[in-house]
Amino acid sequence: MDIQQYIESGILEEYALGLLSTTDRAQVEQTAAAHPEIQRELQEVVSGLDTYGQAHAITPPPAMRERVLAGWQQAIRATPAAEPSSPTMQAVPPAAPIGVPTAPVTSESGPVVRPISSAPEPIYTAAPRAGFSWLMAASVALLLSVAGNYVLYNRWQNTESALFAAQNDQARFAAARQASERRVISQDRELAVLRDEQYQSVLLAGTPAAPSAKARVLYNPATKAVYVNVRSLPVAPAGKQYQLWALDNGKPVDAGMLATTTAAGDSLQQMKNIGSAQAFAMTVEDAGGSVSPTMSTMTVLGKML
Amino acid sequence: MPPVSDGEDLLVQRLRNRDEAAMTIFYDRYSAALYGVIMRVVKKEEEAEDVLQESMVKIWNSFASYDASKGRLFTWVMNVSRNLAIDKIRSRQYRVGTRTQPLEDSAAVREAAPLTFRPEHIGLQDMTKKLSPDQQQVVDMLYFGGYTQSEVAEELNLPLGTVKTRARAAIKVLSKLIR
Repeated sequence: MDIQQYIESGILEEYALGLLSTTDRAQVEQTAAAHPEIQRELQEVVSGLDTYGQAHAITPPPAMRERVLAGWQQAIRATPAAEPSSPTMQAVPPAAPIGVPTAPVTSESGPVVRPISSAPEPIYTAAPRAGFSWLMAASVALLLSVAGNYVLYNRWQNTESALFAAQNDQARFAAARQASERRVISQDRELAVLRDEQYQSVLLAGTPAAPSAKARVLYNPATKAVYVNVRSLPVAPAGKQYQLWALDNGKPVDAGMLATTTAAGDSLQQMKNIGSAQAFAMTVEDAGGSVSPTMSTMTVLGKML
Repeated sequence: MPPVSDGEDLLVQRLRNRDEAAMTIFYDRYSAALYGVIMRVVKKEEEAEDVLQESMVKIWNSFASYDASKGRLFTWVMNVSRNLAIDKIRSRQYRVGTRTQPLEDSAAVREAAPLTFRPEHIGLQDMTKKLSPDQQQVVDMLYFGGYTQSEVAEELNLPLGTVKTRARAAIKVLSKLIR
């Protein structure tokens, strides 16, 4: 037999899809049992289709669970108790495809096989002690039900709080992730400025008023962009803020206010664009800034090279 | 045979012993897979619920015909549900008759999943990305539409050999994904 040809005939796919007759199915099983290669191929087809089905999983709405389980129970109780013609059941070969139900196109349920134990219980109507045992049974059932409800209620409570905790965790992680994402973005931007060769670095040294103060301005004459990077600055008094000035031919031009975080040396800050400058300086001004610099509060000053 | 996953054999044992409580476990374990496939075929939540329940009844009643040595329980129950769902839309077609478009349902099966269809399994997108549209169309018709390979060939106006090759190639891709 040409194994490859057999595999390529598509019969294994039809088998797995449940499209074959009982006879053909048995034949495929026999062939597969005799040829390991076909057996392997058949398993692959079956598991491939399983994967495809599994991938489409959708959890049914929660309310459906009770309804379906209750409906199922009702249906199996309502099923006619005894199937007629049980002798034939022995004669039927164990219809057993790889997970393929017999008769795929008939919508009626297949042969209903019920063990004797599930046959309806005989009913004792006139037994003298019936009333008592019913009471007993009812009390036991009630007790069990109360206990069961208590257990379920506790579980439900536990689940609820576990869910709540998990949701909190998730929100925290999301927030942390967002924060670090923002940091990465701003650091990327800073790095781009620092690496850009078009930027000229202007070192601003402390004036006699603040000898240890130090800052740096990065200026791009082409795009006119200005960034400031603080190394160290005295803390500005309450209600005051550092203001950056560009000196163009000796004339001070406002270059914007330093944020408190920038003045503390946290990060680069982009300032106002400046058309042309030969030097930069910082003064301490009232929060919000001044129109012209207060020369007595000048903290740092530096000339462009 | 594929390795039997944890607990499946125990569940099979309990179902074989007609343990009704085991059906609750069965539901928790398989309802998402079954419901997903049923929904994909019948497309209506109400009808899907009916088919899911019918599947449970059928699985319970014909459990004796399941032979664990010949395949996983999962495969078997998926096929039971899938076939019941396909029967459902066929009877719907029959009921509607030829007055309205008779191919409506089968055409729907061939379309890509509608937007309202949101499977929660993350794998689906990866999986369908790995299949070419041609392959996916064929697998969908076979798996969800209940077509035979010759019917697919006829419907798509393709040589039967092409359909077989596509189906085989697609299923190969799918089976690789689980490794």
